Amino acid sequence: MTAPLTAPVLSMTGVRRAFGPEQALDGVDLTLEPGEIHALVGLNGAGKTTLMRIALGMLRADAGSVRLDVGAGPVNPLGAPPATWRRVGHLIETPFAYPELTVRETVRCAALLHGLARPAAGPAADRVLAELALDHWADRRTQTLSLGNRQRVGLACAVVHEPRLMVLDEPSNALDPAGVVRVRRWLADAVARGAAALVSSHHLDEMARLADRITVLHRGRVVGTLDPQSADLERQFFAMVYAEEAA
Amino acid sequence: MRPTLEVEGLKLVRSPAAQVSGAVLALVIPLAAAGMMWAARSGGDSPMALKVRPMIIGTGWAAYLGMLGELMSVAALLAIGVVLSWVVGREFTDRTVGSLLALPTPPWQTVVAKVAVTTVWALACGALSMLVALPLGLALGLGVPGIETVGSAAKLATILLLMTFLAMPLAWVSTRLRGYLSGISTLIGLIVVTQLVTIAGAGAWFPYAAPSMWAGMGGPEAAAVVTPLQLSLAIPVGLLGTWAAARRWQRSELV
Repeated sequence: MTAPLTAPVLSMTGVRRAFGPEQALDGVDLTLEPGEIHALVGLNGAGKTTLMRIALGMLRADAGSVRLDVGAGPVNPLGAPPATWRRVGHLIETPFAYPELTVRETVRCAALLHGLARPAAGPAADRVLAELALDHWADRRTQTLSLGNRQRVGLACAVVHEPRLMVLDEPSNALDPAGVVRVRRWLADAVARGAAALVSSHHLDEMARLADRITVLHRGRVVGTLDPQSADLERQFFAMVYAEEAA
Repeated sequence: MRPTLEVEGLKLVRSPAAQVSGAVLALVIPLAAAGMMWAARSGGDSPMALKVRPMIIGTGWAAYLGMLGELMSVAALLAIGVVLSWVVGREFTDRTVGSLLALPTPPWQTVVAKVAVTTVWALACGALSMLVALPLGLALGLGVPGIETVGSAAKLATILLLMTFLAMPLAWVSTRLRGYLSGISTLIGLIVVTQLVTIAGAGAWFPYAAPSMWAGMGGPEAAAVVTPLQLSLAIPVGLLGTWAAARRWQRSELV
């Protein structure tokens, strides 16, 4: 068993990133605590995916600092050691789903790539397929799946190794209502076991049911936070967005 | 790197691109070599027989396997180049490259694993082509193959390995231009340039032409003057291409 985490799993301070003349992130501060689901909400192009890619070292920040601490020591995601990445899972935009592989093979491959040993990879894949109700499709090639089921396969691949940090970009995208509920319950269980999740969405209702904290991102800036338990999140959200537009 | 090799190997053997290209190398090329040998040996002055006879160097099994090597030298770069371009470029075309980042295996090892499994696949196709060619040679009436068959098989393997090295820069092209069609387009350009350089008479010093000349595509006189140094130029081309691809996977923003 690994020791429970106490320090923030993810800390981002003053993160800036531009793509040409477009300022995608403009001084973002964000933390993710152990055992927490932290939701990022914003309109399309708000900077959610860029922020997640910087957190995972896929993109570089122009300025600011990023630290991951998943129990292997605090590190910058750029050049983080294998021990850190073994404890991180991610689903950013496109699921890890290759049309020529079956669902079981796909998830087993993800388990291997995330550092599970060969004897453990198969059982881990079968376990997560059952938990996400994908076992019915386990021996089908992923090219035959619906968009929603491919998304669930991508989620299974992201979490098959039971990571301590999950970075999930719109995980309920394309899921039917039953799939949304199943993923929500699964995430809540995983976080109860000690993991932390940074989740993005533009569906406020879903985030209200899922998240412990909601940060609103607009035009690359954090423009406020929402209490998931509060009433009329949509009105609060747009009030923050319009206030930022007017500023 | 071992898990990455296993995963990339599974993706490769399951892929239609590798299956079709593998069938061309392992089945179509030996069948074509046997057909051309049959045409040349059957006598007569059919257009096919007249065209094929000048391509045959030696007699018996040496001539037949030499023909196999000639055809393989033409098909191998095309087949291996298409497969390697696809293996690397598909991750950008299908936007799956992000799933291969933020993993315990560093990105440079992922693309090196792709090159490695493609190399093993190419050599396996060569071995299968020999297995297909042997019964076809017996059916042609060439008799029991002698010790010279081992030399011919080694030459075939060398041609395939050299062609694999020559395909490796396409891993960099498919990365740099973010898709497999860019790699395949570059491959077509390389084949055109190779033809032009060969026509101009500088073929043996051009890495992409030397293996085909050595295989006998330019006739026995041209094959005899190709030196080991000229053939070995394929190796730095391949290593440089793989290094450039690995460097780009490790240092660049791939998403």
